Amino acid sequence: MSNPSEKQAEAGAGLMQYSPEGMMPFGPVHPSLKEPEYFKLFLEGEKIVRVEPRIGYVHRGIERAAQERTWVKNIYMFERICGICSFHHSLAYTEGVEALAPFEIPRRAKYLRVVVAELERIHSHLLWLGLLGHWAGFDTLFMWIWKDREHILDLEEAISGNRVNKSYTTLGGVRNDLPDGLADKIRVEMGYIEKRVEYYKRLVQSEETIIVRTKGRGRINQEIARKLCPVGPLLRCTGIPRDIREEDPYAAYGEVPPQVQTSNEGDIGSLLTLRLNEITDSCRMVKEALEKMPAGPFRVNFPRSVPAGEATYHVEAPRGELFYFVKSAGGSVPERVKIRTSTLANILTATEMLKGHTLADVPVVLTGMDPCFGCMDRIAVVDVDKSKEWTVGGEALRKYGIEYYRRK
Amino acid sequence: MSSEELAPLAAKVGGSLAAGPKTTILSVPPDKVIEACKGVASLPGWYHLSTISGMDLGQDIAILYHFWQGKRFIQVRTQVPKSAPRLKSITGDLAAGVLYEAEIQDLLGVAFEGNPYLGKKLLLPDIYPPDAPPPLRKDSDPEKIKRMMGLE
Repeated sequence: MSNPSEKQAEAGAGLMQYSPEGMMPFGPVHPSLKEPEYFKLFLEGEKIVRVEPRIGYVHRGIERAAQERTWVKNIYMFERICGICSFHHSLAYTEGVEALAPFEIPRRAKYLRVVVAELERIHSHLLWLGLLGHWAGFDTLFMWIWKDREHILDLEEAISGNRVNKSYTTLGGVRNDLPDGLADKIRVEMGYIEKRVEYYKRLVQSEETIIVRTKGRGRINQEIARKLCPVGPLLRCTGIPRDIREEDPYAAYGEVPPQVQTSNEGDIGSLLTLRLNEITDSCRMVKEALEKMPAGPFRVNFPRSVPAGEATYHVEAPRGELFYFVKSAGGSVPERVKIRTSTLANILTATEMLKGHTLADVPVVLTGMDPCFGCMDRIAVVDVDKSKEWTVGGEALRKYGIEYYRRK
Repeated sequence: MSSEELAPLAAKVGGSLAAGPKTTILSVPPDKVIEACKGVASLPGWYHLSTISGMDLGQDIAILYHFWQGKRFIQVRTQVPKSAPRLKSITGDLAAGVLYEAEIQDLLGVAFEGNPYLGKKLLLPDIYPPDAPPPLRKDSDPEKIKRMMGLE
């Protein structure tokens, strides 16, 4: 190591080599991904003995940028943190800011927030399940599920005007009311999704490809969960029934509570059933929210300046607790906004899930925690016996995993 | 968890209590952070460390440890001077804090002694200039840092 830039690379986590010419290496960064991570796997033979995460590939300095934008402008920036749970980011932020101001948000707006939040949970879980099928070598499942997911995205577009970055919630309520006649269409689509999910539940419990690749894989327990503090389905699959919607209700969840889903298995197989059960419950909640939704205004005017103070807020995003800390000094821009996404809380647990497994299990186990899968486009493999290091592309690893279990 | 219920722990670690919306704030001196966090995490049901935040206050950097249970948060809070931004890591007792401390180390330049990422990077690129201020400090200039990194 004589070159200064090489020394610098080694002094960093040493898990990736940035090129000074192009700031980001190809692999973890991809237009379809939102939170790329990079795991360095230490192997003994085929067995994974240690995992080191390295993140930050698309860290865009959003917390710093938020300090230079107005309270309203920040909504549109925060929902671009994640392309899947965009609404939950804007929801956590707006409800956190609203907690600092002495305004009561219209009840109708709270119900509308529940409807969109649950639709987002449904499409996020469907997206995950489809991808798990892809990584396990069951691409038909991927195609079916992503087709069904389109029904939800169409509904989101009909409500907000957009499929991904919905910009639906705003300070003081939501941007627009439910278009005429849409409630009936939503009910019909919920019925369709419920039927499809029942079919998928039977499928994942009987289809051999899925069972072999997921049952007993990535197992964690309550002891690990209490120590590493994972969130969302990863926590609930160990049998701990914690769901912010139920434990610390926000929006209208106090009046439309979830039935918290848990499992005692703590493996990827149980996450499949758990998330499918959550979809069924979300369909019920959407219908219930539409049924109970009160008439009245959907938005109140909100001041440009927010009273000085600090608010700690969190919501149950599809992947679990999404945390926002907001500090106002009384001006038109925030003094500080701290964001902790669900995946950051789950990475340490994912490293535990990988231990003891083979390289062939990596795609399914990592996807099991529901991260962005870009991490698998660039994995460094270290054989601790031979002190040898090489990299494997995501597609090559997927094929290796499928072949490995085909030969078994 | 109300301020009254936390009073014995506050007295033990020489801290002071305050109440905010949904939050009870326990302010402690830097050398009592580990004891305070361990104390909170050992309260029945309070094992969940949501995250650790950092804030640039001008002369000092505030470090906030957010614990959650039910409808309340407990925030253990301390301050370290920018002239000596060092703090003992809680990760020996609370492993969940590893990445949260590493994030603050990167973005605000606070070294957490005992954290496995001490001296390594988690979020910042490896070519981030060692002589540039951490990017979330108020005295850092993003444009200047970009120039130092040769991005312009």
